[in-house]
Amino acid sequence: MSQKSRSTLRPLIALSTVSLLALTSCGNGGGDGEGGTITIGVTGPQSGGGALYGENVEAGIRLAIDELNEQGVTIDGEEYTVEMRALDDEYQPNAAATNAQRLVEQDDASVVFVPHAGGIHAAQEINTSRSEFLIGAYSSDRQIVERDNELTFMIPPTFASYSEPFIELFQDQGAERLGLLATASEYGQQWTTMMTQDWEGAGGEVLSNNNFDYGAVSDFASAVASALSEEPDVILVGGPSQTTALVIEEARDQGYEGGFMIMDQAKFEEMELFTDPENLNNSAGPKPVAEFDDPGTDELVERFAEEITEERPLTAETSLNFQAVALVVKAMEVAGTHEDPTAIREALPEAATEVDDVFRVSGFPDVVTDEGLLISDTLEGAHRDSEGNYEYFPVEIE
Amino acid sequence: MTLFIQQFFNGLSLGGVYCLAAIGLTLVFGVLRIPNLAHGALYMVGAYLTYFFLTSAGVPYILAIALAALVLAGIGIGMERVVFHPLRNAPHTHHMIAAAGAMFFLHSLVQAIWGADFRRMESPITGRVEILGTQVSWQRVTIVITAVVVLIALTWFIKKTVHGQSIEAVEQDRVGASLVGINPNRVSMLTFGLAAALVAVAAGLVAPINLIYPTMGDVIMVKVFAIIILGGLGSIPGAIVGGFTLGLAEAMATTYVSAVAGEVIAFVVLILVLAIRPTGLLTKAVQR
Repeated sequence: MSQKSRSTLRPLIALSTVSLLALTSCGNGGGDGEGGTITIGVTGPQSGGGALYGENVEAGIRLAIDELNEQGVTIDGEEYTVEMRALDDEYQPNAAATNAQRLVEQDDASVVFVPHAGGIHAAQEINTSRSEFLIGAYSSDRQIVERDNELTFMIPPTFASYSEPFIELFQDQGAERLGLLATASEYGQQWTTMMTQDWEGAGGEVLSNNNFDYGAVSDFASAVASALSEEPDVILVGGPSQTTALVIEEARDQGYEGGFMIMDQAKFEEMELFTDPENLNNSAGPKPVAEFDDPGTDELVERFAEEITEERPLTAETSLNFQAVALVVKAMEVAGTHEDPTAIREALPEAATEVDDVFRVSGFPDVVTDEGLLISDTLEGAHRDSEGNYEYFPVEIE
Repeated sequence: MTLFIQQFFNGLSLGGVYCLAAIGLTLVFGVLRIPNLAHGALYMVGAYLTYFFLTSAGVPYILAIALAALVLAGIGIGMERVVFHPLRNAPHTHHMIAAAGAMFFLHSLVQAIWGADFRRMESPITGRVEILGTQVSWQRVTIVITAVVVLIALTWFIKKTVHGQSIEAVEQDRVGASLVGINPNRVSMLTFGLAAALVAVAAGLVAPINLIYPTMGDVIMVKVFAIIILGGLGSIPGAIVGGFTLGLAEAMATTYVSAVAGEVIAFVVLILVLAIRPTGLLTKAVQR
């Protein structure tokens, strides 16, 4: 018996030693001899249901880092190589906080990107105390900057910004009855609460809540049929692009001809690949990244297809994080330090004006507020009309 | 009324899928007395295999499902040999841990081969048919018909063929079955193969109305466990009744209560059954 258990243990020990070695070499390697190293930390889902989302975020960070290293990063007269260190948190808030701590203490990261609201919240509880670090928060819930955490900056536009232009668009067309068919995550519920208030405030009628968890239901038909039975003029939908596309398709299949308000998590460019684009006619959502006319848009679209994948389009998940990395590294240059998170945070507003054009892809921030919001004056939403043509309308970040 | 009929068909097609997935799990439990936690992962692999045969290999839809069922049966048998057979004399917790391990392995394997992307499988069965004044898609009609055909074939196999009867014999009394010359090893493999084939059919049928992604099995896994506990662990008629009951209950609760109620209903029913009749609705006295 003991003989047997030892023989099964040995390869295990060997394996863990090898992986430990691999891990440590990851941490130190990279910088090719000259100058120092700046580590950008990332904690996001690499496995489980959010894996694809995590991949998109990491892709943006990696593409930015490659470009930065090519251009050269000089801080206080010294040259640096930037590298990314990404850990898997499976979308778990606690794991995100633990990862962030590890990245700061073991890898000397002074900036950690966290792409989900729960993880951001957990990281915000530790980033101003024992180990200080700056959080690159990728989630569109305004609460992130309302917690008075001076070491946070919020990368995407707040979702509340979309409310007013969406409502105006559909009420101008005569829509009165709003159906609710969004995903039942915390994010979905917040969107729903906001839209319910604003729609009623604008004199419309909100129908019963048919939100369901897009990720936990095997069949959407029942919820869709139930929402349609109340004859809405416009329906609030949204969750991951792919499932959102299926919900929209199911509604069209069941004979619905009204409009859709699409929450900012779902992207037109991705949905078009999952359903007949005609189904998406008469709906409003965030503007596709490739449609921006910013100086760096075309190049990033090309690089994404060449270096990451041709199977899916470039979306804001990648482009906004791409911009944010460029912004934060520029802030290090402006502040003259890559180790002091407070100084880096304070340098963000000035850095925003100095970032190279190649990093300006989809509504690059013109202003960084004291709260930590990134404000772009050129942000737009998209309306796909009943003919399938896109027109764009301004969205004011608030 | 139209809404009711429409939701009835939605519930029926969902129930068909639940049934096919649940029968495999209940068969494995009946024969080996283990809850196979990797069953949902097998379902997911079944969907990917169907997707592969249909999209990458260009095989017609029904044939793609059949091929996927065949390949997955092979994987199921392999899993029995590699994962569960070596543990046949170990305590039950070991099976559960091994099954969870197999589940993570399959998740990672699929993610390594096909990536974490969502995939959409277009079914060649399109269009809608009018039944009792409501529009029902042909895909849903196909799901219901296929489920019924497969269930009839399965009943015939278990009741009328030697191999099927040997499964039932082992289910009823493992020791007695080996005394009369039934090889329990072969029955274990057969059961796993059959369970995997059935779950592949379920996955192939539902894939066109849903999305394919590495964790798609987790959703159905929880429901399927609820179904077999509801119907009685190890009982095939129980899995059938449980599957359709849950499918219909979900559709009706979504319509007449709320969408959230539709998600919760499985567990409400489960708690009620456990409280009132803990052995499940259709179980025979628990053996062993």
